[in-house]
Amino acid sequence: MEFGTTGMLNEDGIHVDMERLKKGEVNLGTSIMAINFKDGVILGADSRTTTGAYIANRVTDKLTQVHDTIWCCRSGSAADTQAVADIVQYQLGMYGIMNGRQPTTQTAAAMFQELCYENKDRLSAGLIIAGWDERHGGQVYSIPLGGSLHKQPYAIGGSGSTYIYGYCDANWKEGMDEEEAVNFVKGALQEAIKWDGSSGGVIRMVVLTKKGANRHLYLPDTNYAVRHE
Amino acid sequence: MTSIGTGYDLTNSVFSPDGRNFQVEYAVKAVENGGTSIGIRCKDGVVLAVEKVITSKLLKPGANKRIATIDRHMGVVSSGLVPDGRHFVSRARDEAASWRQVYKTPITTKDLASRMGGYLQAYTLYSSVRPFGITAIVAGWDSEVELPVDGEVGSGPSIGSGGKVEGKKFGGPALYMIEPSGLYWGYYGAATGKGRQSAKAELEKLDLASGNLSLQDGVKEAAKIIYIAHADNKDKEFELEMTWISNLDGPTKGRHEEVPKDILEEAERLAKKELEGDEDEEETKEEDKPADGDKMEE
Amino acid sequence: MNHLPQAWGRPRDDYYGAYDASYFQSNGPNQHTQQPIVTGTSVVALKFKDGVVIAADNLASYGSLARFTDVKRLRTFADTSVVGFGGDVSDMQYLDRLLNSLDTEEAYTSSGHTLNARNLHIYLSKVLYKRRSDFNPLWNQVLVAGLDEEKKPFLASADLLGTTFSAPSLATGFGAHLAQPLLRKVAPDEEAAATLSKEQALEAVKESMKVLFYRDARSMDKYSIAVVTKEGIDLKENEKLENQSWAFADQIRGYGTQVN
Repeated sequence: MEFGTTGMLNEDGIHVDMERLKKGEVNLGTSIMAINFKDGVILGADSRTTTGAYIANRVTDKLTQVHDTIWCCRSGSAADTQAVADIVQYQLGMYGIMNGRQPTTQTAAAMFQELCYENKDRLSAGLIIAGWDERHGGQVYSIPLGGSLHKQPYAIGGSGSTYIYGYCDANWKEGMDEEEAVNFVKGALQEAIKWDGSSGGVIRMVVLTKKGANRHLYLPDTNYAVRHE
Repeated sequence: MTSIGTGYDLTNSVFSPDGRNFQVEYAVKAVENGGTSIGIRCKDGVVLAVEKVITSKLLKPGANKRIATIDRHMGVVSSGLVPDGRHFVSRARDEAASWRQVYKTPITTKDLASRMGGYLQAYTLYSSVRPFGITAIVAGWDSEVELPVDGEVGSGPSIGSGGKVEGKKFGGPALYMIEPSGLYWGYYGAATGKGRQSAKAELEKLDLASGNLSLQDGVKEAAKIIYIAHADNKDKEFELEMTWISNLDGPTKGRHEEVPKDILEEAERLAKKELEGDEDEEETKEEDKPADGDKMEE
Repeated sequence: MNHLPQAWGRPRDDYYGAYDASYFQSNGPNQHTQQPIVTGTSVVALKFKDGVVIAADNLASYGSLARFTDVKRLRTFADTSVVGFGGDVSDMQYLDRLLNSLDTEEAYTSSGHTLNARNLHIYLSKVLYKRRSDFNPLWNQVLVAGLDEEKKPFLASADLLGTTFSAPSLATGFGAHLAQPLLRKVAPDEEAAATLSKEQALEAVKESMKVLFYRDARSMDKYSIAVVTKEGIDLKENEKLENQSWAFADQIRGYGTQVN
């Protein structure tokens, strides 16, 4: 009875029932995450987009900038999450202009949360918001399906995340330096890609510190070993 | 006033040939007739005080408050037409609430002053309205610590977030004064209404810019200043109304509240005592001569 | 009613047969009605001589996944009341913000706080009932603990349908099945509750939390607990269950006749 009807979570509680997506909709089968570290935050994601078992895009960029040092990871419906990210990007831009100061990660989180909560019946969007600002440093927020808002030391999401709860819990340390932090994200996403059929391709990362945003790319044919420059 | 009778003072939003809006200047006159309001920005909080002129002996003492709460961390007092002040408060509350609804965080005092400045300015632009007959003083304490997004759960890293810029301070006491024209500035000490001249003179003596005055002393000074300012309005009786906002460690924990009765009475007692002390020197009374900081131009 | 939030507000299967969910997908202008996604489990509370004890664990589940382990589900209001939330977390956050704005509006009047726990419970129940009548329910079951207008202990519940209930002890979700019988043994009626000491009430509630941890598959061993009295609210948000009993597992061998 617990998860019988359509449009519900699967028994494992993570996989979005495909009925929830509109017919033929592109699904970000996805492994995404964001973590806090000594100097800020790091966002990471795989690059696979699927329609059913077909890989619609093997080099997707699921890390989306909504302000200078505020980014998000998208999972769920590609169309829904893009629309939501576009709206928030616009609103944050306006905020900067109207108030003469940069929005904080919290401003972004509040905007994302409002959209996801008020439109919960229409959206399938699982988002992780991560950003850096002078006052708060790096911050990570998770907004799962129903539109609740959770502040976390690190957040994982998407179908691939089920496979790495153990890895992340066992290897997580607070206050890591950048190299350790990058390796933590990479190690976790490698496992997710390995076990989750809906995740795959390259590993993308964005490192957010007071110095701004810095992109990383790791490729499967080198076993994600070296950063692609 | 030189141009009276030339017709340029009969409607709002029309300039006189020398570039003045008389309706706004008349609104300032309405303010100048109102009971004195002041605000003091102290190092650990802000005080608001008003000389509430008793218009009838049939009014209940202590009722009909003149200082209002806008959001939990913010208060406002005004001099001039009381109903205009009430509308100002109502609009300010709406602005604060709508900010909270959109951004899920309290509005800063600066942002509220900006929005209300814009609102008052709009009332100088149309012939169908008149400017506000008040000058309002807005006081707030913007949180010095990081605030959660309203409603959020969870707490992030146990050791705190990484990558904060060290040594930067955020939040603290804030005080703004908004005039009928929509003009607003931030102040260390602000005064408006009938006794503003003497109140400003007293405020200047406090060296508020150095940021040494404590909130507890600020309350006493505020009471004293209202009593001194009342000298310009001696024939009428008045009540002293005071509110304050302290920092999180202080008595109000960042909230805008009335100054407790015992502290208010003690401050009043000291004010009266001090005033009796220099009763003799208090004879030279300045007539309504506009001082420098009192002009309408920017 | 089934204790799982996913089943709240639906007709009982054993009585009416399996619920036909396609009913909700029927054509019509109003396509609201959701389902809880991120959920909190039981809230338990017990009145005593001078006040009320209320507790809830810190877990927010995502289906069967224990996804968020630092979710505080007790919320204070005005130094005299605590609201405990079960059910959907996003709706809990909505109600939290709604209570914040109520608190701000209360501060407009200079008389200070006037809303007591009874007022707060009535307010919440009307909000919940309004939303269910709009076919857009807030998927929560809440307990309001605090003091009433006479400063006497007050405890009541309200759910997603707007149903209200009051008793010397209350529990939501799984707690209604497992904790309530234990609490009723300690306080069968108002008179009995009025003789309980704070320590007795705390012990009974903590014992209930332990039983719930043993038997509720959507619970955890970290919890929040609050005591409301005239002296104010004592809220602890990072308690750990103590004195659990597991060692007897040593005596259990096989599933029947096995001895080794």
